[in-house]
Amino acid sequence: MEISGEGLRARKLVTPLNPGAPWDLDLPARGIVGLSGPSGAGKSTLLQALAGLRGCSGEIHWSGICWQSGNRGLAAHRRDACVGFQDSRLFAGTSVAENLALVHRHSRRPLPPAERQRLLAGFGATDLLHKTVESLSGGEAQRVALLRQLFSNPALQLCDEALSAVDRPLRLRLLPQLWDFWQRHPALVVWASHSVEEIQLLADSCLWMECGRLRGPLPTPQVAARLAGGKMPEYSRIDALVTEQRAGLLRLSLEGHSLYADRVANNYRVAQAVHFLLAAGDISLSVVHPGLSSALNCLPVRLESLETVDDGRIRLLLSTGNARFCADISGFSCERLALQAGESYFAQFKACAPLGL
Amino acid sequence: MTVDPSDLEAVALTLRLAAITTVLLLLLGVPLAWWLSRWRSRWRHLLEVLVTLPLVLPPTVLGFYLLLLFSPNFPAGRLLVKVVGGPLVFSFSGLVVASVIYSLPFMVQPLLGAFSQSGQRLSHAAATLGVPPAAALLHVVLPACRPAVISACALTFAHTLGEFGVVLMIGGSIPGETQLVSIALYQHVEALEYGAAHRLALLLFGLSTTLLLAARWLASARGGAAAGRSAGEAAVQGPIWK
Repeated sequence: MEISGEGLRARKLVTPLNPGAPWDLDLPARGIVGLSGPSGAGKSTLLQALAGLRGCSGEIHWSGICWQSGNRGLAAHRRDACVGFQDSRLFAGTSVAENLALVHRHSRRPLPPAERQRLLAGFGATDLLHKTVESLSGGEAQRVALLRQLFSNPALQLCDEALSAVDRPLRLRLLPQLWDFWQRHPALVVWASHSVEEIQLLADSCLWMECGRLRGPLPTPQVAARLAGGKMPEYSRIDALVTEQRAGLLRLSLEGHSLYADRVANNYRVAQAVHFLLAAGDISLSVVHPGLSSALNCLPVRLESLETVDDGRIRLLLSTGNARFCADISGFSCERLALQAGESYFAQFKACAPLGL
Repeated sequence: MTVDPSDLEAVALTLRLAAITTVLLLLLGVPLAWWLSRWRSRWRHLLEVLVTLPLVLPPTVLGFYLLLLFSPNFPAGRLLVKVVGGPLVFSFSGLVVASVIYSLPFMVQPLLGAFSQSGQRLSHAAATLGVPPAAALLHVVLPACRPAVISACALTFAHTLGEFGVVLMIGGSIPGETQLVSIALYQHVEALEYGAAHRLALLLFGLSTTLLLAARWLASARGGAAAGRSAGEAAVQGPIWK
């Protein structure tokens, strides 16, 4: 059985949840892998088995080091891996600062002070340091738990619904910071989530789990479509390059066209590759170029296909070069503009439409 | 209300015995309860029963077996005499050994409950964040189970204050050596000195009540971290955050 090599190798992993369908897993040593699927499919069980917190049998190797063989496994604190639990599990009876300090002290790869400060500021946790764990709200506790995991900085980071209690605007601000952090401090991250936004903004590829069966890695758009119930997804991921950043306004280049994004929460450098999400509801369509408009972004697009979604709205799949995204319009507008697949139009959206920058 | 000097000596001796027993049991009870809470075996139930036994056994039964255990005619007794450095029957050292056994469940049970409930979940979290088991017990589980630790110490102390049957069997009534408050009280009653007995009984009653109330207040108070006064937090202020 060949289980050497860099990264995570799991063979015939069996837990009480999947007695008849052993899990096999081959993941690289670096990258962000999404993990999704219906509730109760076994996502948490898989993550805890990999980290050594759940009894299982099989083989687990990390970059040539044996973590599990048969029923015998290496203790959890000896594995270069960390699980972020759904319920935060902050250390009760202590403060946020003490939680972070303890983990920092025992980290295999302690972060330098500047990096820690950057994370604290980015996560809005500087003011939480002196608070006791018991006085935090659910969202605050999840942010601190995720921060604690980043301070630990292990080679394998298993995140289980790590932002489910955080409100959406804040979540969209944190996701690019997380992505950026893992670019600077490479690790293998397995990000378990039901959120299409999270999966699309973070994951290079995805695993899908259903009724205890594990499939993948699959392309992220395929899993995003599954999460959207097989329909065209409401959110589309767009990859672009930074051409200029002025106070709060980011100019991007997409397939040779200029785009603007405002309300940008993070700092980027020129020529940096970034990605963001576009919500179908934020895009409008014109038959002719609209000329000067307060909506800063206007892209020439080709209409690929049309699909009726809930309550009579029409979801359009648009493309410009290799980039594809969806737009929602009413059935009435669709008739009035006499839209036809294969024709060229103009897609318009405001500078505040790009999400997750 | 004056208490006569020999009674005061008995009070001082009782407090000393309760304090020593509580400290020894804390050092012994925390690892024992922690190990019991994590141990998955058929024998665990048997061990838990053994640890709980002093709670339900008549103190005289316990005293009788301790008397046999402390006897130099048995190997265990000879070993104990070597460890303690003197005879155990009718001595303060013997009372300490007996109290540790007699009050063991009062320390272990509250700790075991707390460790089984929240300790396990938090030690998992600590382990996955790379904190070794000993550090996790010290810095994660014990702070989280602070109320249970305080309750266990208070119960142990208060329970040792009122020891009677075991002491009667192995300690006798040597003033300054084995004459505890409960023994002195019993002797006052036998000699029909109800005034002195009443004063001692009231003193013991007041002491135990105050102690348990203080423990409740301490356990429910959120000290330290909340007000940013804890030593741990002071330590992280400097190197980590500045």
